[in-house]
Amino acid sequence: MTNKTSKVGSIADAVALIPDGTRLAIGGFAIYQHPMAVVRALIRAGRRDLTIVGTVNGNEVDLLVGAGCVKRVETSYVGLEKYGLAPNFRRAVEEGRVEVVDYPEVLSFDRFRASQENFTFWPCDYLGGTDVLARNPDIKPFTCPATGRTLHAVPPADPEVVVLHAIAADERGNVILPQRHLLPQGLDVIMARGCDTVIVTVEKIVPQSMIRRHAAQVQIPSYKTTLVVEAPWGAHPTALLGRYATDDAHFRDYVAASASADGFAAYLDRYVHGPADHQAYLDAVGAGRLGSLTEFDTL
Amino acid sequence: MSANLNNTAVNDTPLDGSPDGATLAETIAVNLARSFADGEVGFTGLVTGGAAALFGTSIPLAAMSLAQAMHAPNLTILLAGWSHNPDLGSLSVMPDSEFDSVLRDLPCDAQMLTYPGPWAIKRGDIDFGFSSGVQVDAVGSINSVCIGDPAKPKVRLVGPILQPEHMTLFGREYVMMPHHARRNFVEKVDYVSGVGYPGGLEGRRRLGLNHGGPEWVVTPKCVFDFDKEAGRIRVKSVHRASDRMDLAEHTGFAVDARNAPLTAAPTKDELDLLRRHVDPNGILLGRRTARSL
Repeated sequence: MTNKTSKVGSIADAVALIPDGTRLAIGGFAIYQHPMAVVRALIRAGRRDLTIVGTVNGNEVDLLVGAGCVKRVETSYVGLEKYGLAPNFRRAVEEGRVEVVDYPEVLSFDRFRASQENFTFWPCDYLGGTDVLARNPDIKPFTCPATGRTLHAVPPADPEVVVLHAIAADERGNVILPQRHLLPQGLDVIMARGCDTVIVTVEKIVPQSMIRRHAAQVQIPSYKTTLVVEAPWGAHPTALLGRYATDDAHFRDYVAASASADGFAAYLDRYVHGPADHQAYLDAVGAGRLGSLTEFDTL
Repeated sequence: MSANLNNTAVNDTPLDGSPDGATLAETIAVNLARSFADGEVGFTGLVTGGAAALFGTSIPLAAMSLAQAMHAPNLTILLAGWSHNPDLGSLSVMPDSEFDSVLRDLPCDAQMLTYPGPWAIKRGDIDFGFSSGVQVDAVGSINSVCIGDPAKPKVRLVGPILQPEHMTLFGREYVMMPHHARRNFVEKVDYVSGVGYPGGLEGRRRLGLNHGGPEWVVTPKCVFDFDKEAGRIRVKSVHRASDRMDLAEHTGFAVDARNAPLTAAPTKDELDLLRRHVDPNGILLGRRTARSL
């Protein structure tokens, strides 16, 4: 009798799987449910030249770009929704410090579907006349063999590593989706299914018995998962949908600090470089603040 | 996803000469509502902040809801693209977040849990949508990506988001512009994130686009529509008589509004439905007097 392999590791193990130059997809959507504990650890580790391939991105990309970790971003959106434009991303683009490749939103989803199907391209028929097409040499015209129409071959997302944050998994890396979930978690699953190196941080590593009681909710089974890391409040300051809310005050402070490069550097010192690890970050945020964010979408 | 635009005060004063004191927001909502057909599916994003939210989300929601009450009971509202026919009348506050509890817990008919989801966007399931941008140009193309040379932009904005799809895969598009200034209405956008009618309908066909495109561009001063054969924007109506004279001054492409008709006023029945049924608490259209009517 041999034992099943544990996939449990640390945030440091996660960072080690994401070397300089990695083509990385980060789970979550806009300002919701990003694996922020890993994002901060990448900055602490001084990662450089990452390519972020995404769908709808927010503060996680703003933080990484602002900290100088990113060479290129391929996505449909980088912004902070009601908190406005992504200030550090905006500054970096305007100063020519990061390359942006713009994709339409649904097409950015389809690029991950292409990876899941192991397609070499995704066919698209609605790019004519846009600068999305005119400015992207990786999108190539071809003639549809069935109809003779000119279509466009769009490159798959093909991330080398996917990292995402979920509510729970067991030690073997069976990852639970909450019974009540929405598009952000749905897209996380598509991302995970199209990549060979999948890192999942979770609020809690739970016993296998609990996984087996919720098998219908395991949409990322063990064999898809490379590494599972326990990181309570690991999405903060973004929401973990249905478990804790967006930290509104933190976002407002972040935006205010990011009005200048110096202000952003001070933010990084306080919340990224200052705390030695995720636990120290949570201490810096404070138990009172974290507790106030708890919510229940179901009981 | 939606572009975050600058805020201005909500216009809740009656249009001059309007019967029953209809506001600009109400007048636009009624005109939009009349243009929707029964059985259509309408898609709106969740735009936040002042006038941008009013034009991008609240007016479209009020218009679709009004159409359901008037002549289109089978119209489907897609709010933020995922909540089908949300119970807008029960709102006590406008949702300002796509996935937080206000919208998540708002009663509705169906929800989109993943992509692909309930609507088959490429099959033409969505009949019309609402979008916005920082620039719209003389052929109806829109831009939410950047100001200036895209290679080194003066201002980087959010990205193309769903605009390419809005302007081609949806049956028609209502471009909702919360401000009317020369910098927003330009001869040629700095980045085409949603394509209008360059070269007219024939031009669109040459680009491989056989479906959709902008129908109206709605601003605080006027409604534009298109000579689709020529591929040129034109003034359909102005909201106030004074807009006839100063529209050209506030528009970066050539317009002639001197003989433009006034935007059609709401009827008393339409206003009653809007105020008492669609938006009883004044959440959508910001009409603070709603309760006292």
